[in-house]
This record gives sequence, C-alpha cells and structure tokens, in this order.
Amino acid sequence: MVKEQYRGTDVAKKISQVCFGVQTPQEMRQYSHIHCVSKNLYSQDLSHQAVEFGVLDRRMGTSQKDKNCDSCGKNLAECVGHYGYVDLELPCFHAGYFRSVMNILQMICKSCSRVIKCTTCLYCGAMNGTVKKCGLLKIVHEKYKSATKKIIRPEIEEFYQSFSLAVKHNKELDNFVHRAQEDLNPLVVLELLRNIPNRDLPLLVMNSKASRPEDLIITRIIVPPLCIRPSVVTDLKSGTNEDDLTMKLTEIIFLNDVIQKHRATGAKSQMIMEDWDFLQLQCALYINSELSGIPFNMKPQKATRGFVQRLKGKQGRFRGNLSGKRVDFSGRTVISPDPNLRIDQVGVPVHVAKVLTYPERVTKSNIALMRKIVMNGCDKHPGANFIQQRHNNMKRFLKYGNREKIANELRYGDIVERHLMDGDVCLFNRQPSLHKLSIMAHFAKVANHRTFRFNECVCNPYNADFDGDEMNLHLPQTEEAKAEALFLMGTKNNMVTPRNGEPLIAAIQDFITAAYLLTQKDVFFSRAQAARLISYIIAYEDRTTKIDLPPPCIIKPSTLWTGKQIFSLILKPNKKSPIKACLRAKGKQYCGKGEDLCYNDSYIVIYNSQLLAGAMDKSTLGSGSKNNIFYILLRDYGQKVAADAMWRLARICPIYLSNRGFSIGIGDVTPGEGLLQAKHQLLTEGYKKCDEFILALSRGKLPSQPGCTPEQTLEAVILKELSVIRDYAGKACLKEMDKSNTPLIMAICGSKGSFINISQMIACVGQQAIGGNRVPNGFEDRPLPHFEKHSKDPAARGFVANSFYSGLTATEFFFHTMGGREGLVDTAVKTAETGYMQRRLVKSLEDLCGHYDLTVRTSTKDVVQFVYGEDGLDPTDMEGKNRPVDFNRVLQVVQANFQCTHKKPLCEKYIKSQAEDLLKKKSEISDDFRKDLLNFINKYAEDLTKCRTRYGINDNGKTQPAVLYQLQRITSKQLQEFINMACSKYMKSRLEPGTAVGALCAQSIGEPGTQMTLKTFHFAGVASMNITLGVPRIKEIINASKNISTPIITAHLTNDKDADIARIAKGRIEKTTLSEICSLMEEVYQPDDCYILIKIDLQRCRLLKIEVNADTVRYNLYILTVHPAANAKQSLYNIVQMLKEAMPKVVVQGLHAVSRAVIHIDESDAGQEKYKLLVEGNDLGGVMAIPGVAGERTTSNNTIEVERCLGIEAARQTIINEVEYTMVSHGMSIDRRHLMLLADLMTYKGEVLGITRYGLARMKESVLMLASFEKTADHLFDAAYYGQTDVITGVSECIIMGIPMNIGTGVFKLLHKPVKKVRGERRNLIFDQPELHLNT
Amino acid sequence: MATGLLFEDIFDIKDVDPEGKKFDRVSRLHCDSESFKMELILDINTQLYPVELGDKFRLVLATTLNEDGTPGDGEFNPLWENNPTRADQFEYVMYGKVYRIEGEESGGDVTSKLSAYVSFGGLLMRLQGDANNLHGMTVDQNLYLLLKKLAF
Repeated sequence: MVKEQYRGTDVAKKISQVCFGVQTPQEMRQYSHIHCVSKNLYSQDLSHQAVEFGVLDRRMGTSQKDKNCDSCGKNLAECVGHYGYVDLELPCFHAGYFRSVMNILQMICKSCSRVIKCTTCLYCGAMNGTVKKCGLLKIVHEKYKSATKKIIRPEIEEFYQSFSLAVKHNKELDNFVHRAQEDLNPLVVLELLRNIPNRDLPLLVMNSKASRPEDLIITRIIVPPLCIRPSVVTDLKSGTNEDDLTMKLTEIIFLNDVIQKHRATGAKSQMIMEDWDFLQLQCALYINSELSGIPFNMKPQKATRGFVQRLKGKQGRFRGNLSGKRVDFSGRTVISPDPNLRIDQVGVPVHVAKVLTYPERVTKSNIALMRKIVMNGCDKHPGANFIQQRHNNMKRFLKYGNREKIANELRYGDIVERHLMDGDVCLFNRQPSLHKLSIMAHFAKVANHRTFRFNECVCNPYNADFDGDEMNLHLPQTEEAKAEALFLMGTKNNMVTPRNGEPLIAAIQDFITAAYLLTQKDVFFSRAQAARLISYIIAYEDRTTKIDLPPPCIIKPSTLWTGKQIFSLILKPNKKSPIKACLRAKGKQYCGKGEDLCYNDSYIVIYNSQLLAGAMDKSTLGSGSKNNIFYILLRDYGQKVAADAMWRLARICPIYLSNRGFSIGIGDVTPGEGLLQAKHQLLTEGYKKCDEFILALSRGKLPSQPGCTPEQTLEAVILKELSVIRDYAGKACLKEMDKSNTPLIMAICGSKGSFINISQMIACVGQQAIGGNRVPNGFEDRPLPHFEKHSKDPAARGFVANSFYSGLTATEFFFHTMGGREGLVDTAVKTAETGYMQRRLVKSLEDLCGHYDLTVRTSTKDVVQFVYGEDGLDPTDMEGKNRPVDFNRVLQVVQANFQCTHKKPLCEKYIKSQAEDLLKKKSEISDDFRKDLLNFINKYAEDLTKCRTRYGINDNGKTQPAVLYQLQRITSKQLQEFINMACSKYMKSRLEPGTAVGALCAQSIGEPGTQMTLKTFHFAGVASMNITLGVPRIKEIINASKNISTPIITAHLTNDKDADIARIAKGRIEKTTLSEICSLMEEVYQPDDCYILIKIDLQRCRLLKIEVNADTVRYNLYILTVHPAANAKQSLYNIVQMLKEAMPKVVVQGLHAVSRAVIHIDESDAGQEKYKLLVEGNDLGGVMAIPGVAGERTTSNNTIEVERCLGIEAARQTIINEVEYTMVSHGMSIDRRHLMLLADLMTYKGEVLGITRYGLARMKESVLMLASFEKTADHLFDAAYYGQTDVITGVSECIIMGIPMNIGTGVFKLLHKPVKKVRGERRNLIFDQPELHLNT
Repeated sequence: MATGLLFEDIFDIKDVDPEGKKFDRVSRLHCDSESFKMELILDINTQLYPVELGDKFRLVLATTLNEDGTPGDGEFNPLWENNPTRADQFEYVMYGKVYRIEGEESGGDVTSKLSAYVSFGGLLMRLQGDANNLHGMTVDQNLYLLLKKLAF
C-alpha cells in the first residue's frame, strides 16, 4: 500500500484537456460489449444465473467478489467494467437536453431544417410559429396561429378545413378545431434535427466536431457496467436487491418489448402512444429522477436515484468523491490540553500510534532501529505492522511468523511499515476548517493515554476547546510530503495569521493570568523560591539549559528577586543567549499618562530581554496584538526562539498558579454593602428618569430625535438610560472589589471574562435586548401578563435589575431566556450562512496565485492585479499596520542591541547624508519604502536638532555634562544597522511567488464571518438611520446585490460649517410633494371649463427652505396648463377627480429615489461643528448634482449604484471600503491587500460580478470547476451541447483529475526542455552494407 | 568616578502613593532633594522598609558596592554579606538598570532638565533635575541604590 510519490516526468501520458460532447448511437455501439435485450435479470430456474443479454449479464463486469467478469476474466477489484446498450423502439427526448432541443427547434424552420430568424422561412417559404413546451417532455409547434384575428392566412384556413370531415361526424370537435396545432414528437424532431446542415451548426453554437443535433434525441441507451450498479445479495430474504439504474433499464427494455409487440400485432395507435409516453418518462427518470411536472398517475411510487442525482449535491460524485476523498492513515479522537508539550507537538495515544504506520525504507543509518522495530511486531509500541522486502514483491504481516528471522534478513531498500513514533510529522486538524491554520503539522509524541493532546497556546488557530471536541490526525506517507508539511504547515511556521499578520498562537487563559500575577510589582521571591520557580523550565529539550539568576533587585535588608526578573529569564535564561528583545507598549490598564510611571504599572518596557516595567497581560502575551512579546521574538529572532519562550511560559505559569492558588468562590461574587447601596441609588435614579421620559411622552412633550417618531425616541432614550445603569454598576463593582478578587484579576489581565460579566454576576444583569430593541409584546399590548397593558417601564420591558448572585425573578428569568434564545438562534443561522459564503468565496478565489512577475493571475493566466496589493508584500509579514516595518520599534531594538557606548553620537547633517548614502546602495527596495524610510530618518534627525537647540548642546560633542548627549542618541553604527534591519525586513516581507493569495483572501474574509454574531444593525451618526452590518452586509457586498437593505449616500457639503446651507441642501434632496407646500386645492367647475385650483403657501416654502414658486410647480406640473379634456373612456368629471387624487403626491422638488436625508453633525476638533448629509436612497448621481453638495466627496455604500454612476474603479474602492468598515465595526481587522484582491476579482471583468453562481459562471470557463460548485448537471449538459473543452488548469479541476496543481510549490517549472537524443545511430540492414557483399 | 558614586543627596518624602495604594507591598514615593533640587519618584518595598510621609533619607546611587570603587562583575554572589561593602552603612539597597534618559517633552524653552529612569527589577525610579547632577549616567548602566533614613 505504499503510496508512490507523484513524479510529473514519470507519467507516460498526461491529461491535457477534457472534452465534452454528446454521445452518438454509433459510439455507444462501439463502446459496448453486448446488446441488452432481455427484460429478465436472472434465470427463473434454481441456478439463479444472470440472464444472457439481460442488464445483469456478467459480460459487463462483475459486482460480486466470488465471480469474475466474463469479458476480461478479471475479478471485482481489477475489472474496469464494460458497457452494453439498449436500442429504443421509438426515439425519446433526453431529459438533460430537452431545453436545448426546444431552443434549436425555435431557431430552425420546421419544414426544411434551416436556421431562420423570422416566421417565414427564407429557404422554403414555409410558415413557422413559436415552439412551446406542452406538458411533460412534449413540444408543440404553434404553426396555425395568426398574429391578428382579422387576417387568417390561407394555410391556416386549409388546415382547419382538413378537420371538416371529423367535425361533421362529431359536432363537439368544432370548438376545439381552432386550438389544433402541430405536434412535434421525438420522431418528427429527430428527422428535423438530422436534416440541419453542418454549415448551420455554428449558428446554433454547436461544435460540429463534438456533436450533431440529432444526437440530442435518445435512440439508443448505453448500459453502464455492473460495478457502478451492483446487485446486492441479501441474506435475509432470498434474491437480490437491485440498483435503481438496473431497475430502470429493465423497465425500459420491458416497454420496448411491449411497443414492439403492439406494433407487430397492429394494436390501436392510442395504446402505442401511451406506451411511448411511458417509455419517454422512464428514459427521462433514468437520467434525472427529480423531474418536475410528472402527471400524478404516472408518478413513480418511490423516489429513485438517476444519473443526475448521483452527480449532484454535497454527497454526489463531484463534491463527495472527486473533490474530496476518504483517506487512509488518519485517526480521530477527543482532545485534551497538555502544557508540558511544546507548541509544535501533539500527544498521540499509543493505541493510535500502533495503527498509523509510515513506510520507512531501510538504510544504513536506520537498519539497527528497524531490526528492533520489526522484532517488536504489531503489538509492542515502536513496532511495525508490515514489511515489504525488496527482492520479492510480497507484503508480510508481522503479527505472525518468525519476526526474529525477518529482522535478521532485513536488507537495505526493504520497506518497513513502522508504527508512528516520536518526532514523526503529522497533520492535525479540527473542523470546520475555515482557514489554513485549521490544519497544521505537529511532531508526534506518543504517550500512554487515550486522547490527542497539545499545548493550549495552539487552541486559537483551531478554535478548539476541551469540552469534548474531537480532532483528526493524518500521517503523511512520503519524505517529500513530510518535508513540505513541516515547512508549509508547521505550527512554528504558522504562528502568525495571514489575515492581518497578528500572532494567533499565543498564551491564553491561565497562562495570561499567571504571567500577570507573576509580573506584578509586589511579587518578591527569596533565593530559594526564585530558584525553585525558574528551575521548572529545565525539562525535556531544555534539560541542559544553564540558567543565570540575575543579582537580586533588593539586596538589603534581605535579598529578594521580583517576579519580573523571573519572567525575564523566560525570555533569556542565561547570559550567553543572544536574545535581546525590546518592547515598549501600553498595557490594558494603562492610566493614560506618565508612560513608564503609570500608577497601574501597565506600561510594559522590555529592554534587552529584561522586563523593566509593567505587568504582562493579554495585550503583550495574548493573540491578536502585534505588541505580543512572542511576536517580537518571532520577528527578530525566528520561530524557534519564540516557540521555546512560549513553551517555557507554558511550563512556569501553571506551576506558579498552582503554588500561589487561584480559585473562585461565592465570596468573590458577593456584593458589599457599599456596592448594594450604589446599585440601589443607580436603579432608583435610572427608573426615575425613565418614568419622566414616559410621562413626557404621554403629555407629548418629549422632543423627538431627528427622523424618529416620539415612540422611537422614547425607546432610544430609555435604552440608553438603562444600558448606562449596567455600565455604572460595573464601574461601581470595580471600585468596591478587592484587588485579590479572582474574577476581577481575570477581567483586568484579559485572560477571560469582561467587566460586564462581573457586573452581571455581582450587581445587575441589565437590559435584555431582542433584535436590538427592548422586549416586544408577546401578549396583548404587553410582553407578559404580569404587567399592565401598554406599560413602558423598565421592568415590564425586559430590564433585569437583579444579579446572578441575588437571583432573577420569574419574569426577569423569562426575559433572560428570550435574550439567550436569540443568541442561540443567531449562531445556528449564521454558521450555515457563513459556511456557504466561505464556500463561494473559496471557489471563486481558489486559483488566484502570485507569479514570478509579481502579478496575480487566475489559472487561465488572466491578470487580476499587476502587483499584489499595490506593493507586492505579504500580509503575513506586516509588522506595522498594513506596513512591512514598524520603524520606531526597529530603531529601539537597534539602539538597545548596539550600545556603542564609546562612539560619538551623530548630528542631523551626518544622519541625513549617511542615510542617503546607505540607501543608495539598497537597490532592491521599492521607491515607496525608500521614501518612507528616508522620511522617518529625516524626521528623527530634525527632532534631534530641535532637542539639541533646546538644551543648548553643541554638535561638536564638547558640551558638558556629557550626559546630555544621551538625548536622542544615534551613532553611525546604529544608523547603519537600522537601515540594514529595516531593509532586510522589507525584503523578507515580499510575497513569495506561488503564494495562493486567492485562497488566503477567501479564508481571511470568510473565517472572521463566523465570529460576527448579533449586532446586525448600527446607527450611522443619527439614531434614526440604520446601517446593516455583520454577515448580512458582507453577503450583500459579496453578492453584488442590486438592492441593498440600507443604501446610504454620504454627502459632504461645499461649505460644511454652515448649518443653514446644510438645511437648504437637505431641502433640495428630500422629496417635497405638492401637498406639503400648498394651502388649497379645489375643483372648480365653470359652465365652459373645469379645472383644479392650487394655492401654494409661500410662507411654508420659505420655512422649509424650499425654492419652490409657481413656475417650478408649473414646470413639474404641466397638467395645470392643459385643462383636462374628456375622452372616449372617461367623463371630464372622472378625470378631474382622478387628478385631484394624484396631484398631492406629485413631487415638486427633490429626488425620487431618496426617501429621506438627515443632517449629521461631526464635532471633530474643539467646538468646530461640521455638517454633512446622510441620504437614504439610491440616486447617487442626483445627490451629487445638487447645488451645495460637494459632488467629488460624495459616496454611496451601494456598489452597483456607484458603478453605474462613477464607474468600475469607484465600485472597486467602494467594495474595499465597505467590507473594511463592516469588519472594523465588529472589531476585526483584515489586511487591505486581501480586500483589494477581492474587489479586484469582482471588478476585473469590467463590471461588478458577485461571488454567486451567476458571477462565478462569468468569471471562470472551466466546466469541471463550475460543475463541482453548483448546478452540476446543468453545467455538464451545457458543456456537452456546446462541445466545450476543459484545459485542466484550475485548482478544482486538478483535484478532480488527480493532477498536481500550478499553485504554491507547483508553480515553478523547469523551463529548459531537453532535446531528445536519438539513441544510437540507425544502422543499415546487414544485407544492404556494400562491404559485406560478395563481389561476384 | 573612581569611587563609583553617581549621585548623592538627601530627600524629603512629599507624597506617598498619590493615586491611591495600588500594591500591597510596594509604595511609590514622591520626593524632593534638599541640595540639588532634584525630583525623585521611587518605588520601594514598604513591607521590608516602611517609610512614612515626611521622612527624610539619604540616597546614594553608585555603580559598585565595593568600598574602593572597583567595578563589580555584575554577578550575584550569595556570599557578599561576608565582605565589607558600601552597603553596610545603609538600610535599604537595590540593584537595577538605567534604561532611559530623556529630556522634557513639553515646552520649547531652553532648559537643562533631564530625567533618568531606573528599574530595579520592576521597581521604578525617576530622577529628574539639572543635567549636571545626572552626570555619568548612561543608558544600559547597572547601578546600586542605597538608602538610609535620617533621624531628626
């Protein structure tokens, strides 16, 4: 079973393309071995043999283990199967090509079969009507239907006349004569299609090489081999269970026989027609058993599986067997945590290790080990299950037999299928595999337990917890696979997520808590304690690590070490270690001033691997932050150093925590007297305020917010008031609680839980929201019958004043469950939705790949981006925000690492000139980066001069005291190192050719989608204007929906400081109807005239800032000038009434597509109010053209609208901005390069294409790829009709065909093609050689 | 510099934990010096060495504990108590590192005020004052802080 490694050069034949076409009856005959004619499956006698020439004839292969194929004589495993065929008595329509046949018939003349365009044939002059589907698989040609009733063409008259005899004998027919049309039965159609000349085929977009139209009609059915429709012998009852296909085929043969018999005996034509219909139906069901519109009496009793059903769907051939396969050498079990394992290890139970094997070739270096392993056999752990000796191709099972002898006979080149052993590379995976980090390579560590174990730091990428999760393990089977897995998928190589370059493998939960507690300012250890704690890192690989305990920080009165000193040893255990990490970062509790001297001790300073100030917390240890200390180690010193440090932390932290003690009890959540009082006060105040609002509303005195009804305003203010209560309660908790409170410690250091969680436990659970609002009515005018009707007070609308500690009342509990259920439903719905979104994204982006010329291209080599992400850099390697290098940090590192104590500091002039000189030599960096770097250095130099002038320091270095030169000090060496380091970081961050940037993009957008729960709406500045967010919004953008749920145009104003201008512009945009500005509208009837009189209220116009006068109204209302005139249909009175009804709704000013506009006030800088307009609606062009609106700064969030109005590049930018905005408002960051790629893919065809089945079909040509996505059968039938070819280039196609794909390591090819040498010279025949001739 | 002394002065404790007591065993002292007009912020372990508002102490910063001023090797020697050292005359001694020397951030006037930041294993000290008094300090320098309360 050794899997042979694929070698591209070794294959004799290579699949270059797959062609699709319609199989002709002749081809079927050629493929077939037999002609099936017998409707019986088995002979009726006791032998129970398959009937000869039946559909189970064993000449078509075999489906049983004990019987061999009669054609090739091979057994079940080896016989590939052979075809048979069945001839149909009468032709039938093909269920898959039915629509194509209809289309063809529509295009050809129904008498001469030429392609025509108009109703009368140009070639034969025959009349043609429309072709219609009529019932199931029947076509009617409406030839005898004239366009107008008045003129009846002579042919039609003649046709009607032909019925005269029938009508004479049956009067009832008379009514139906006019409905008679030409029936196009398969026989007629076959003849028509056959007569289409080859030269007309291109007009039908058919490929004459691949198919002929007549082949679209079935006259012969191919019978598939037995192995795909096995008959199962059941033990329970006698006989066999037959496959659906077999059953359908027997039915078809049976019907064939019936028709034949009826024809031979001259039965009624009606009966034959009935049989034909039935045959037609069976043929259709054979292909697609889910046909719609089958008449009830013909409907099959039980659902069967036709060919289409076998192919389509998740379990179908394409998605279930071709794109993804079941694999050997894999295992699955429950997972559990183990901090003693390194982050690149996985603990494998010995039971699993004995089953998973690796075929190891015996070599000189491992023969001793292999002997031992073979000796151990199957049942003892480092053993082997099979051995394949080189000289004989036999595989020997090592459970039985003389193992000692086999071991002694072991020779180089033998293959031992040994058990999985420590250090083997295996792939570890947890579903759902949403991103590439969901499957990573670990080193195995076999141990005596029953679960897979791994370091908790690796939970994040897998999104695993240990509440019963199961994970899968795969063992790669070749050395090449192992090496590739280790370098591309190794945990150490994947510590950083490609989504935004933030670390994903980092300390979590207890590790953070313990590190936080350890690095507190007041943690002191005696020598014994310090030594004991730090000695825990001496284990396994670090067994021989020397530890240099630094001098104690307090020497007198007694020697004491601090926790920070111990922590420093985790980073750098001894003086010889070259690691000098540097970091300055704000912690979670940073007080906001004083930097290092923050009184919460939350400004972290790490200087040359020494923790000098600040307590470590989530922001410096946890995932999702580039200030993570392990990230710093990773970027500056490589993955091994980072992984080692993380492992040391993982060992020390649990030990410190268990020694110190960290637990939670009821006392931790018991509120104190002060807290209870504070809460009581908060509640009474809050309730009072709410009551005031409610009272104000009932008196109609509540000032409504812009664009809101008074009720909505009330809801908004109450909701705000109540949420404030919970926040204040949380703050009160914080104040009241002791520093040693464990939930508080966890919330502060960020390891688990938030302040809201604590406040819910101790003080107040807070408002329960359902769909972002307070609890709605579940009963008549009230949420629960415990409250009064129409009650609006907090308790009646789901405010839970109790805490989890004090216990919820019955109604509160009920409201709480309502909120809880919403959360559950939301997650359930969202997983399905995001799963599908992810699949679509991946399918459309999977084949995008960075190439050697820096372009991003699809598999068909279409350019999607000329330079990836506009700078050709890899998002994984971004140290700054969307930038490759964080200059400030690099400078700090360089200054710390290269002290150059005795060197002279540089002055501004030298810095600038030296930087320029140095950068001149760096030809490899891009111009943008060079500019950034120079700017940074120049700024630093200028700051230096500023600083020096302030202190009066000379540039010559002679100012006293010399300590002043320490300010902003930079030496020549430091500058040089800084530039070198920055440039090397830049070079490292360049995108590697072959990177599957598309797949990364799809995963980076799809994976965070699963985490976007709730909060589907969000207010854009003003309370009344909602913006859809979350998964629904992402879906809208990606689908390129025409009608988005909340289209909003953001209009900047030409003068954004004037409120009046804003109001005028608003008036111009918003719709003003006639009814709003007129004071009078009446009908006037005069003896000679009647009209409608409208009086416009100019005062009101002025008030609304509307530039309306009688002229503009007249312009918009031209009806006023034309007095209504009576026409034939309506009386004058009616018209006047109608007009009166319609006129108030006439828009006098404003844009039709806009529903409303709201003024938004930005208070950006100190008191300066800035106005802009938020317009709800779609008419971007209209809004831009409004005077007063700054058109060039006006944007819409509707991609399609922007494309229509501003063009494709603007649409691209809109997609990028909108996805980013949505992600950011859910607190997720994605590198811009990913969004650019997505937007580019959606727009590179020149129009905005959605990531849907329609958009995808226009982006990609590959049939196999489209078939494996959605609408499998449709794509295949179409491909056959058009005679398409699929040049296997994309990812999906390559997987389906089993060819290595041209992405990643498959992207480079040897360009050199060796000229094939002719082996040896061709010699002449011996008799032709003259020197051998006898001279006679 | 032969003596290895960097700075010496007498300080008055003006404030203890101005933002509230954040840590059980450590307090932050805000002090002013008597002779050189230096401002000092210092974290000390009050469990070991209790101090009170208004206390006065002598503070010495030195690069070595050796009486003769020979530089130490920077290694911890558990036997140091046996040898006579400079620490013998003091009550509270810490060992730490100068990691940052900075000017004043705000204000554009000409000044000569500098701040030196020292961390004693997480216990921070900031000594702020005229540059002349911080003479001899360099970044990444190890130093000892010696403290002795003065009796009134």
